[in-house]
Amino acid sequence: MKKLCAIILILFASTMAFAKAGDSLNYLQVQDGGRIKPYQSFAQEMLEIVYGKSSFEKRDATEIVLTWMLSPQAWQDKKIFEVRNHQILEALGLSKDQRHFTGEEVFANDRFNILRQELQAKREAQEKLDPYFQAVQRLENQFFIFQEIAAGRMLKIVPPKEGTTWVSVSELPQGPQEKFLELTKAFVGHIGATATTEDKTILKEKGEALDKAVQAFQEVARAENPALYDNDGIIKAEVHYNDFHPFRWAYIFYFLSSLVLLMVWALSKESWMKTAWVLLTIGFLLHTYGFGIRMYIMGRAPVTNMYETVVWVSWGVLLFAAILEIIYKFRIILFAGSIAALFSLVIADFAPAVLDPTLQPLEPVLRSNYWLTIHVMTITISYAAFFLAFCLGDMGLYYFLRGEEKNKEKIRAIVLAIYRSIQIGVAFLAPGIILGGIWADYSWGRFWGWDPKETWALIALLGYLTVLHARYAGMLKQFGMVAAGIIAFSLVVMAWYGVNFVLGAGLHSYGFGAGGVEYVSGFIAVHLLAVLYVGIVRSGEKKK
Amino acid sequence: MSTSAPKKPWLKSLNKPLASLKLAVFILSSIAVITAVGTFVEARYDAFAAKQWVYNTWFMYLIMGLLCVNLTAVMVDRWPWQKRHASFVLAHIGIIILLFGSWMTMQWGLDGSMRVGIGEEGTMVQTPETDLVVYTSFDGDRYTKTLEEEVNFFKNPPTAEKPYLIPAYEEKIKVVDYYKYVIPSKKVVADEKGRGGAGLRFQLQNPNVNIIEWLVQRKSGGTQTQDFGPAKIHLGEAPVHGRGENEIYLTPKDSYLDYVVFQKDSTKPLKKGRVKEGDVFDLGYKMALQFRVLRYLPSAIEDWDLKPLERPTPLTTSAIKIQFQGREHWLLLNDMLKLFTESSVYLMTYGNRRTDIGFPIKLKDFKVTRYQGTMRAMAYESVVEVPGVGEQVISMNEPLKHKGLTIYQASFQEEQGRPVASIFSINHDPGRAIKYLGSLIISLGIVLLMWFKHLDFKLKNKNQNS
Repeated sequence: MKKLCAIILILFASTMAFAKAGDSLNYLQVQDGGRIKPYQSFAQEMLEIVYGKSSFEKRDATEIVLTWMLSPQAWQDKKIFEVRNHQILEALGLSKDQRHFTGEEVFANDRFNILRQELQAKREAQEKLDPYFQAVQRLENQFFIFQEIAAGRMLKIVPPKEGTTWVSVSELPQGPQEKFLELTKAFVGHIGATATTEDKTILKEKGEALDKAVQAFQEVARAENPALYDNDGIIKAEVHYNDFHPFRWAYIFYFLSSLVLLMVWALSKESWMKTAWVLLTIGFLLHTYGFGIRMYIMGRAPVTNMYETVVWVSWGVLLFAAILEIIYKFRIILFAGSIAALFSLVIADFAPAVLDPTLQPLEPVLRSNYWLTIHVMTITISYAAFFLAFCLGDMGLYYFLRGEEKNKEKIRAIVLAIYRSIQIGVAFLAPGIILGGIWADYSWGRFWGWDPKETWALIALLGYLTVLHARYAGMLKQFGMVAAGIIAFSLVVMAWYGVNFVLGAGLHSYGFGAGGVEYVSGFIAVHLLAVLYVGIVRSGEKKK
Repeated sequence: MSTSAPKKPWLKSLNKPLASLKLAVFILSSIAVITAVGTFVEARYDAFAAKQWVYNTWFMYLIMGLLCVNLTAVMVDRWPWQKRHASFVLAHIGIIILLFGSWMTMQWGLDGSMRVGIGEEGTMVQTPETDLVVYTSFDGDRYTKTLEEEVNFFKNPPTAEKPYLIPAYEEKIKVVDYYKYVIPSKKVVADEKGRGGAGLRFQLQNPNVNIIEWLVQRKSGGTQTQDFGPAKIHLGEAPVHGRGENEIYLTPKDSYLDYVVFQKDSTKPLKKGRVKEGDVFDLGYKMALQFRVLRYLPSAIEDWDLKPLERPTPLTTSAIKIQFQGREHWLLLNDMLKLFTESSVYLMTYGNRRTDIGFPIKLKDFKVTRYQGTMRAMAYESVVEVPGVGEQVISMNEPLKHKGLTIYQASFQEEQGRPVASIFSINHDPGRAIKYLGSLIISLGIVLLMWFKHLDFKLKNKNQNS
């Protein structure tokens, strides 16, 4: 056990990169999107919008975005604009085999102007934008961002003497301007060195020069308005959050513990249970830690968009799985829980276009922190319990397929765990919906308004209530419960994901997004088919 | 007990089908399916359509009623209750109470909105119901209300075959068509009967300004005024002295107009003259404004060009088609229409119901705080003055409660990046306490469920073992 802990510690130490020379550029304070963020976050977000990734040809976003501004012409023939929508590629007359294009290919194209005019017409008519026009909007946004960064208008780095809008690079007053010029010189020197030499002393020297220039700039910027430049704590936390990737570490540990649990399960290595618990606990602590940093940076509970709820739900799945495991000691519950948490965190990490991980300010309607936090957290944590039931259902299907008689005990355990999970879910969802009503009553003056989000939460509740009632009346036996755990979860998916990404209507508009519909529906369809398949196989066997 | 004992099974057997679990499953899944359809209707159309077509319909009420019957029946069926029934009884009673509270809100509640401009006062709250009101006059001056009726053309649209009829002196006024979603654009046409007011289409132009507009008098001989920024333009009789502002008066005559131009800081007319259709004259101001008469109709009526859409957008409104004395007119929602005959005038309004709340809300100030460096609103609040309360701040999540009404900050209107009006949601909810009570009981029942289900399970096991 000690050995394990030691290995983990070493693992961490090796990745908790010590401050490298030249890194202080990351910490430069930038005003963007309604808040102050480190330049690192700004650069990564901008590159993500334009290029679709947070680095370009293995070069950091911080470097790329600054060179857009320093020498835009050098980027003219680089394929940095991501266009994924096939309809748009067709409209622009571009090849569908590639995803990235040069600015010339996309924007110097007459057809781009036609698309823009079409979008403008849609906007003037105030019509809802379909996925095609959302993609046109992104294209326009990419164009705008690159232009504005290149012109120095986007990067706002000096606090104003009065007011709240920061001063951009293109309008810097004399003092900061000189220092910024020095900063850019040091920056060019640094990237020049990284590109040409591997000599560590030169690199270090250039890096330190950059650090110094950044510091000198920060000092003059701070002198402009010290009260507005007072964000060091948050900036440091955010850069650390960006570099450390707490959720990535969390799922690595969930993955390891899942492997160990699989061994316990498949090879009956009971003694390994402890190891699994340790790995899981570390993962869970990291998960909680990441959640905590986000909370510190934004000053609110991070449950206001899809990405944040996915992170929160995966946390809840693990929590419920651990509690049920401690009570029942079935082992399989913990396995289901860690797989579920692993799965959702991996998705959150790999689909930034759909699940936006950036830190965004809140809409006015959400600013009553207290009720928002309570009702969203209660409802989404119930989704965690249902998700656990869903994963347990998958395992139930597996055992049914392997032979009902042979695995009688396991199936009984799984069904009990599914039943308990659904109960926990209902016990959170029903009060959560009521709390949502109270919040709506409190801030909009109506308890219930058939808003799609609340309606679908209610439908999910009705679905699970039906399952509980049917079980109580004996209409659902063991296979019925396994199937119900899987089928009813599609209602949760609709309430959680579908309303925001498929329907896109109603008052909960702040969580709207696009993308991934084909994958999510495919995921659900595969599971429904699996239930159907096992059901048919089972009834076939019974006839024999 | 002994006398009622034989009766009980009979009652119970009657109650049995109503209390059946199959019925419960049917009801729950019906509610789920109906409301799911509702959310798709809302996504395709809007929340109003979803309410009209799905949520506030007889089938929705029926299924809710059935739910109450089923819940009650199942509780009767389990009588006499035991300790382990506590969660079941609480949850079921809670739902009934909650539904009862919702019904009270629906019956006696008020849920409307009020728009108040900055510096203005509001007393009327607007609700989604629509009314058709007709005023009749025989001398063109004094009007009497001759009809006021609630109409729901959205649900029951009138057609040429089944028109909505309004009694009138000469013949019935017919509402023959209804468009749910139209984008209106104004047009002005000559009135052959010659009873409408004058209409003028003009152009106001200098190197920086180019305005082309219609001005139409509401009635013949009246004055229609519009402020166009550089100058105020009046279509009607000119006074002898000006008010010391940039003003232009155009008085309609048979085939021409007499104009008088007044200037800032002077009461004397700056310029006088006569213009016909197609004429241009310089207003004589320093900003070199030219006035061109593009079209002049001594008698004009306003009408609408309507572009119907399949689905609503924030710009669409609804309209009804009126047929009267062989002519057709369009009447937009929250607009009015005048119909002239030889001997009478009918003034029709079709619009959302407006109810007087009994006290004025004066909007003294409106503040928006934005996220730093952006135009994104972070929070906003209204400073209002209400008699008996004094000055009060209403902000998001901080409503004002007065005389049984709750006044919420809902949103605001902006023009050129500056707020111009605040929109309040005004609400009276007699069922609120009941709904909260129901919610509390349900929650209690659910908490107990976890505990008693466990007990139940244990009991069952014990019974099986013994």
